[in-house]
Amino acid sequence: MNSNQHRRARIRAGLLGLIALLYVVSIPWYRELGKDPEIWLGLPDWVAVALGCYAAAAVLNAIAWFLTEESDGEGQVGE
Amino acid sequence: MSFPEYSVVALVLYLIALIGVAEFARRSRASSLPVDHFLANRELGLFVLFLTLYSTAYSGNSLLGYPGEAYRRGYVWIMATGFMLAIVVVFHAIVPVLRPIAVRYHFITPGDWIRYRFGGERGSTALRRAVAVLMLIALANFLLAQLIAMGHITESITGGIVPYWVGVVGLALIILVYEVLGGMRAVAWTDAVQGIVMLFGLGILLYWLMQTGGGLEAITLRVAEIRPAAVRVPGAVEQAKWFSSIILLGLASVIYPQAIQRIYAAKSWSALRGSMMLMSFMPLATTAVVTLIGIAAIVHFESLGSVEADTVMPRLLEIWAGEGGWQIFAATLVFIGALAAIMSTADSVLLSLSSLFSGDLLNRSQDDPATTKIGKAVGIVVMVAMAATALSPRFTLWRLIELKMELLIQCVPAFLIAMHWKNLRSAPVFWGLVVGTLISVTSVVFGFKRLAGFHVGVIGLLVNALIAWTGSLVLVQRSR
Repeated sequence: MNSNQHRRARIRAGLLGLIALLYVVSIPWYRELGKDPEIWLGLPDWVAVALGCYAAAAVLNAIAWFLTEESDGEGQVGE
Repeated sequence: MSFPEYSVVALVLYLIALIGVAEFARRSRASSLPVDHFLANRELGLFVLFLTLYSTAYSGNSLLGYPGEAYRRGYVWIMATGFMLAIVVVFHAIVPVLRPIAVRYHFITPGDWIRYRFGGERGSTALRRAVAVLMLIALANFLLAQLIAMGHITESITGGIVPYWVGVVGLALIILVYEVLGGMRAVAWTDAVQGIVMLFGLGILLYWLMQTGGGLEAITLRVAEIRPAAVRVPGAVEQAKWFSSIILLGLASVIYPQAIQRIYAAKSWSALRGSMMLMSFMPLATTAVVTLIGIAAIVHFESLGSVEADTVMPRLLEIWAGEGGWQIFAATLVFIGALAAIMSTADSVLLSLSSLFSGDLLNRSQDDPATTKIGKAVGIVVMVAMAATALSPRFTLWRLIELKMELLIQCVPAFLIAMHWKNLRSAPVFWGLVVGTLISVTSVVFGFKRLAGFHVGVIGLLVNALIAWTGSLVLVQRSR
């Protein structure tokens, strides 16, 4: 792997870490259970947060796929 | 003409078009070998590959089951957008490893990976067959869900002109004909058209619902009046289900045999990567939309039964078409789009099922045209059996998905862990799979679906992975 490939792999790993974080935030475990929500953008606030997290995760995931190296014929099982 | 009559005419025209595409695909085939019938000779480019992945992933479950579930459970069903996206995220752990090996060693079925990875190890044949059996059961279940969805939507939209049983049997027959004639090529080409129609149809249906409901905010406020629990922050058990569903769907869906076979069928790495990039946005364009459709249905229908809730989409279409004018045309288009999505998933599942049975279970050679014939015969037998079962539906569509996932997720160590840990051994993976499956099946038989909100399949997977991991460590230590 050359330095450019290393850099792309590191960025990709970072993006996947961010996506995991967005998933944690998307579930309203930190909110008061059963509470009546406020309305944001026409949605209950906790739904707007979840949808925002998934929209951000979709963009990051697309970038992560873009950074995934072309690997036809090079595959091997990991360590 | 009334909306039901328009729908029957559109249905007949659509089915004729499908047979035409199948015949065209049959004439385009390069050979009678399994690689041509089951993988379209590995020639799927970006456009067709993306749309076939999309149409296959978003099916009767998405178009009927998910609005039904959003109607039943309220806004918490936004979780579906999360777990559909999780599938494209988890693919990062599979595609870059599997694709190059699949190309180099000419894989056709998921079992080819097991054969490659565990080779001559003791227990590898048993593992390959066990994985094949689980996948076959999951696929048969998936096919059943599509047949039920086809029957519901056809009967409902045509106002009973086409009864439920005719919808199930007639459309199953059409699928059989074009799948046998055109194989993966016919499936992928029809998927491409179906995907576009589905996206367009959902978009205009959502627009209509928002217009008639006075906008998203007005709908949310009305839902809060009718059913306050549907908009409140969900309780701890619902949140655990949310988390568990992301794990269950994210892990199990990436080893869908039909998804794995599309990884094999891609023309190039760039076509596959581009498809994955586009697929990242489909949960927002589809799952979030059908969730909002289900929520809007709460305003239109205040109380439907559990299985009836799966019909909220066709019921909305009936109301829409009732306004007359261009709405009849638009509602007919959505109906055909929904039906197309369901049929496209059913045919993909049937194709995978045929190849798995002949290649992985019967161990037939992939260089023998007779393998293709056996696969087709298996497809006919399974379709007849599932169509007969679909005539008396006893579960909601979502429950059928959960049952399928709880079995399929037990195959995760054989694929996901095996791709990233070279010390994994076939015998412990086999026993882990057996124990995980027993936990899932026993729990389902005794009516025990979840533990503190977590699906029994996820709990079974934890035990399964632990057995595979510790057993492999012991075997590696012994061999040293």
